[in-house]
Amino acid sequence: MWGPNEGSLVKRLLGVALGVLTAIGGFVDIGDLVTNAVVGSRFGLSLVWVVAIGVLGIILFANMSGRVAAVSGRATFEVIRERLGPRAGLANLSASFLINLMTVTAEIGGIALSLQLASSVYYLLWIPVAALAVWLVIWRVRFSIMENVTGLLGLTLIIFAVALFLLKPDWGSLAGQLTPAVPQQETVWTYSYYAIALFGAAMTPYEVFFFSSGAVEEGWTAKDLGQSRINVLVGFPLGGLLSVSIAACAAVVLLPAGISVTSLSQVVLPVAEGAGKLGLAFVLVGMAAATFGAALETTLSSGYTLAQFFGWSWGKFRRPAEAARFHLSMIVCLLVGIAVLATGVDPVLVTEYSVVFSAIALPLTYLPILIVANDPQYMREHVNGSAVNVLGMVYLVIILLASIAAIPLMIATGAGS
Amino acid sequence: MTSLHNPLPPVPHVAGRILDAQLHLMDRQVLDHDGVPVTTVDDLEVSGPALDVEIPPGTEPPVITALLTGSVLGTRIFGGRPPSSRLVRIPWTDVAEVGVVVRLGVSGEPLDASWVERWVRDKIIARIPGGRHDPR
Amino acid sequence: MILGDLLGTPVFDADGGRLGRVADARFVLEGAPHQLMVEARLLGLVVGPHSASSFMGYERNGLTHPRLLARILRWRHRGSFLVLWEDVAAVGTGSVRLRPGYTRYSTALVGPGKA
Repeated sequence: MWGPNEGSLVKRLLGVALGVLTAIGGFVDIGDLVTNAVVGSRFGLSLVWVVAIGVLGIILFANMSGRVAAVSGRATFEVIRERLGPRAGLANLSASFLINLMTVTAEIGGIALSLQLASSVYYLLWIPVAALAVWLVIWRVRFSIMENVTGLLGLTLIIFAVALFLLKPDWGSLAGQLTPAVPQQETVWTYSYYAIALFGAAMTPYEVFFFSSGAVEEGWTAKDLGQSRINVLVGFPLGGLLSVSIAACAAVVLLPAGISVTSLSQVVLPVAEGAGKLGLAFVLVGMAAATFGAALETTLSSGYTLAQFFGWSWGKFRRPAEAARFHLSMIVCLLVGIAVLATGVDPVLVTEYSVVFSAIALPLTYLPILIVANDPQYMREHVNGSAVNVLGMVYLVIILLASIAAIPLMIATGAGS
Repeated sequence: MTSLHNPLPPVPHVAGRILDAQLHLMDRQVLDHDGVPVTTVDDLEVSGPALDVEIPPGTEPPVITALLTGSVLGTRIFGGRPPSSRLVRIPWTDVAEVGVVVRLGVSGEPLDASWVERWVRDKIIARIPGGRHDPR
Repeated sequence: MILGDLLGTPVFDADGGRLGRVADARFVLEGAPHQLMVEARLLGLVVGPHSASSFMGYERNGLTHPRLLARILRWRHRGSFLVLWEDVAAVGTGSVRLRPGYTRYSTALVGPGKA
């Protein structure tokens, strides 16, 4: 599996960038950065098991979608349209597209917020700059460079894990929090709401749209199935680790102090305490890169889903003029994002309501992937093994239950407040 | 596999390859002869039969005349029917291969199905600096 | 005519008894060869208990995995059958009528069609 010469080894290592970037968008985008810290400061580590379940689920389905893309050349939303037909396909497209659009908006705001933290220049002024930068990368930069740079820079968020060690927590009591239990000051409803929000974030549908389309962008074939597997096995656990580290930092510093997280500056507080100025510098770079990466992922996913549903020409590997509607739709998304942010809405709040649309999009995304991954017309001999199918079915049931519970729980708890 | 007590007889043998419209054609991606996406199969047009009239025994079966795209997708989802003049057709004679995707044997560029793409390209995208830049 | 209009249309026997809905239209590639591909002529109609949503073809294309899904979808479409074009008496805007003494065939895809 590993090439004999070093050049190919480096290529293999950089080759996991797609998985890393995909996972960053799912686990540590602006909404998740704050949600993870909120969870840590309110529930300690008692929801880590949900992240673990989410990581396993996204590994399972992202690998399936990557395999379908590599073997058949078909990205996920083409498969969704083909199997679900136009009506259910459109329902999924509407929900998924709204999630994308809300996340694009939030991420542009997130980049601006990170830049404000770093520069003290007012955040609204950074918004057009952030959106323009996202567009320029999509317009001009090669896919592989884009994923390598943002993937690597986003990894500086690992400073949360470093800070956790430097904070020298009582590891025993921290480990004691790992059992699923509702903390005294919380209700079972808020606990369940955050459980579903974390699970939904881990399995956000734009991850598979981006991953499978990225596989097509990179021209993966059946020969690259090993590469696809390494990507998901490295990327998503890393994303989960970042997510848990943020929660753990908050659990160690913010929970005992009784600080409730409402803004990005409180998310970085534990890092400043544990790792000082240098750590702070790292975390600011990491947050800017992660939100930038998530902005790229969701903007591209908006274009991918629309183009694949309607059968338009798409892909960054083509000249923009050869994928005109694809590029136009992404420009429109970014403009809408700027317009929404110009109203002064809190970008972190924007992502909270995407849970509602996830309830529709999640089952309608993962069911067709599972079915097509079993269809020999698409997959030839690379169909799912039976263990994968059993797990896939178990996850479909979990997804369905989470979907049904999501909206009532959100209303009952006032979105977890 | 059916739950019926006496299973149904198989269809009398036919020589050609079988295609179920819904299963093998509808909603599949259409690529042109260079592999460039053109559209999806939003619907199909068949040569007959005449509606609401008795079909005389021995009538030749209808054939697929065209792949349809455009506004027919909207009416398929929401109901109704666009006037025949508004249908965007890709004639069946342009189809080269039906598999996971439908491949055409012609270039997608001059097709009616591509006019929106051409318009967006010529009026907007190609006019933005770098619009024709090859990313590779 | 547009095929999408036919899919989902109720199907009746010669005496007006309701049999189900048109779930799909089966074509066979033979006949006059064109420049690129031969003609696709209508072989018959798949009639099923549910509307046009043939639901992923589990009832016909021999997919058996994941087992539970295959079972659920097969069960949903139990009683589906194929009628040949020769047995179709009339196609209307809201109904399809079959000839007296029509034959029900299995909807299973066999041979070269089972891609």
